[in-house]
Amino acid sequence: MSDMSFHLGEGSVRIEFDEGLYPKDAIYGAAYVFIDRCWVHLDRAGDRRIQVTLKAKKPGADTQIYAGEFQNELLGQAWRLRIVEENKKLVESITARALGGAAGPPGLDELLAMDIGEETAFEDPLGIAMSWEEKYKKKGKGEGAKAEAEDASEGASGGEKAS
Amino acid sequence: MTGLSTLFTELGSAAKAPTGLVPFRFREVGGDILLTNFLGDWLFVTQDEFRALTRGELDSASPLHDKLASRNFLREGLDQAKAAERIAYKKRFLNWGPNLHIAVVTLRCNETCVYCHASRANMDAVHTDMTPEIGEKVVDLMLQSTSPSVTLEFQGGEPLANFPVMKHVIEYALARNRAYGKGLEFTMVSNLAMMDEEKLAFLVDRKVQICTSIDGPEHLHTKQRILAGGNAHREAVKWIERINKAYIDIGLDPTLYHVEALLTTTREALKYPKEIVDTYVGLGCRAIFLRPVDPFGFAGRTAQIVEYDRAAYNDFYRTAVEHILDLNRRGEQVLERYGSIFLTKILGDDDPNFLDIRSPSGSGIGALAYNYDGKIFSSDEGRMMYETGDPAFQIGDVFTSTYRSLMKHETVRALVMASIRDVQPDCVNCTYTPYCGVQPEHSYRTQGTIFGRMRESTLCAVHKGIQDFLFDKLRENDPKTVEILQRWTTVRARTHFIHASSAS
Ligand code: SF4
Repeated sequence: MSDMSFHLGEGSVRIEFDEGLYPKDAIYGAAYVFIDRCWVHLDRAGDRRIQVTLKAKKPGADTQIYAGEFQNELLGQAWRLRIVEENKKLVESITARALGGAAGPPGLDELLAMDIGEETAFEDPLGIAMSWEEKYKKKGKGEGAKAEAEDASEGASGGEKAS
Repeated sequence: MTGLSTLFTELGSAAKAPTGLVPFRFREVGGDILLTNFLGDWLFVTQDEFRALTRGELDSASPLHDKLASRNFLREGLDQAKAAERIAYKKRFLNWGPNLHIAVVTLRCNETCVYCHASRANMDAVHTDMTPEIGEKVVDLMLQSTSPSVTLEFQGGEPLANFPVMKHVIEYALARNRAYGKGLEFTMVSNLAMMDEEKLAFLVDRKVQICTSIDGPEHLHTKQRILAGGNAHREAVKWIERINKAYIDIGLDPTLYHVEALLTTTREALKYPKEIVDTYVGLGCRAIFLRPVDPFGFAGRTAQIVEYDRAAYNDFYRTAVEHILDLNRRGEQVLERYGSIFLTKILGDDDPNFLDIRSPSGSGIGALAYNYDGKIFSSDEGRMMYETGDPAFQIGDVFTSTYRSLMKHETVRALVMASIRDVQPDCVNCTYTPYCGVQPEHSYRTQGTIFGRMRESTLCAVHKGIQDFLFDKLRENDPKTVEILQRWTTVRARTHFIHASSAS
């Protein structure tokens, strides 16, 4: 059996292919593109074969075109997955810069709307409210300095609770 | 000599990756090979030179070596700090949020146009008028943008149909901006048929830039834009002349300050490239934007009337721009906007921040569109899709959304990621990636996905066609033509229209 086959039906087209041809995410992505025009059905057609049925929502649609478009979209989705995988850092840094620049820092309204309840209001993750003795009482000389450095590095890496 | 298509087959195993070069992309343009690198530098090499490169041959004493070095194609000697600085400068638009805020103050319109259905309602549909309260909320959100300057663009429908609210919003924005101190501009896109002296006096006094639609010569314009009981073209022309005179009367330079007009290139318009250009020049316009018809304003059968093959559009574009270049050679100062946007990137080493041709696109992070009912969209195109029944690009509303919630909306994030050209199939290998951009809403509308399939995208075909044309001109290197194209990269700022940015 060839790697990909088509069966035109009444207002629908069934596409079958080897499941090893494309990553699953690409198949889902490509199928999803058609949901405004078609009823989309994904199934397994025997041993390691995927079956996608596109049934046109409107009568008279050229389903052969859908079949071709689906193949092109599959290829595009698979390629994009590969490119994004290879360029993850670039995408993340551009997106972060764009959204950070557009959103700006939180304003007063947002700070006021933050969840500062009884449970969170008196949390002291950095130990700012503690006395020096309380903070370092169990540590000997020298260890305190190390602990300080650790605290500092944890703070720099994203503000997770140090406690 | 064979072209690029057979080169690598001929070479077979003799093909060798050239060493010492930065990553670059290539394309055959007019018989030579265009190379572009990630910085946006470009260079033409002959087919023989390119063949030598593909065999891994690059003699350090050759003129080709010098040429490549002078355009930053060689790793050795590349000033990395300067390269990083150039990229950061060109992408500086990422440092701030939306500059363009489109307020649809009404859907009512007094004209009926062949390419516009989604964005209009009949004149009695007063329920599609924006209220003053919604208008104020639009201003409040706009002024929270991290952008130091903002433009509020009034659109419709026909915005003059809801002039009282437009007036109120302008006064409110001027008053509120005293606390923000932003560079504030107003623009109105109108067919001008509802203009009168009183409205004009207000608009000139409040420095509202006026932009209108001209579809070309009268016979074409009136065929496509029906004004009940009148002639849409004559009305527009009459008011363009009157407004331009008003600018002269207050001492503004008419070469810089005049009504701007927008073209929508329909299938019918393709027949008249030169006549359209001449109409614009005759009206005193210095910039013509040869925009192909977009797929947002209409649906179904209308598409078959106004749509066309993009190869036909590219022929139209070439003929029209050749004519514009001829006019320039005869002393007329007129430019084509598409050309000017791409040339600013290609020759000017800058990005003019045109929202639909940048990477990532300006959807959400560069512009917001506010519907008459207060709903907010990532772009005006997204808003039009909502009007045809698809809310995919609604990111909030003026009643409940905060500015930051809009910017952090998952749709905005997706639109940013989908419009980074360097990581899209096809674009990743395309020679024009450093200069290109595609609005993801367009891909969604035409192909059902915000990522799009560029090989089948009409927008990609247009962008490729235009850049092929421009690069071919640069390859021919006719001094007069290059001088004209170089001039198109310099856009003079219209400072008169900027309201002072000093906060009180
Ligand atoms: S949209 Fe088309 S022309 Fe533009 S970079 Fe992508 S492939 Fe190239």
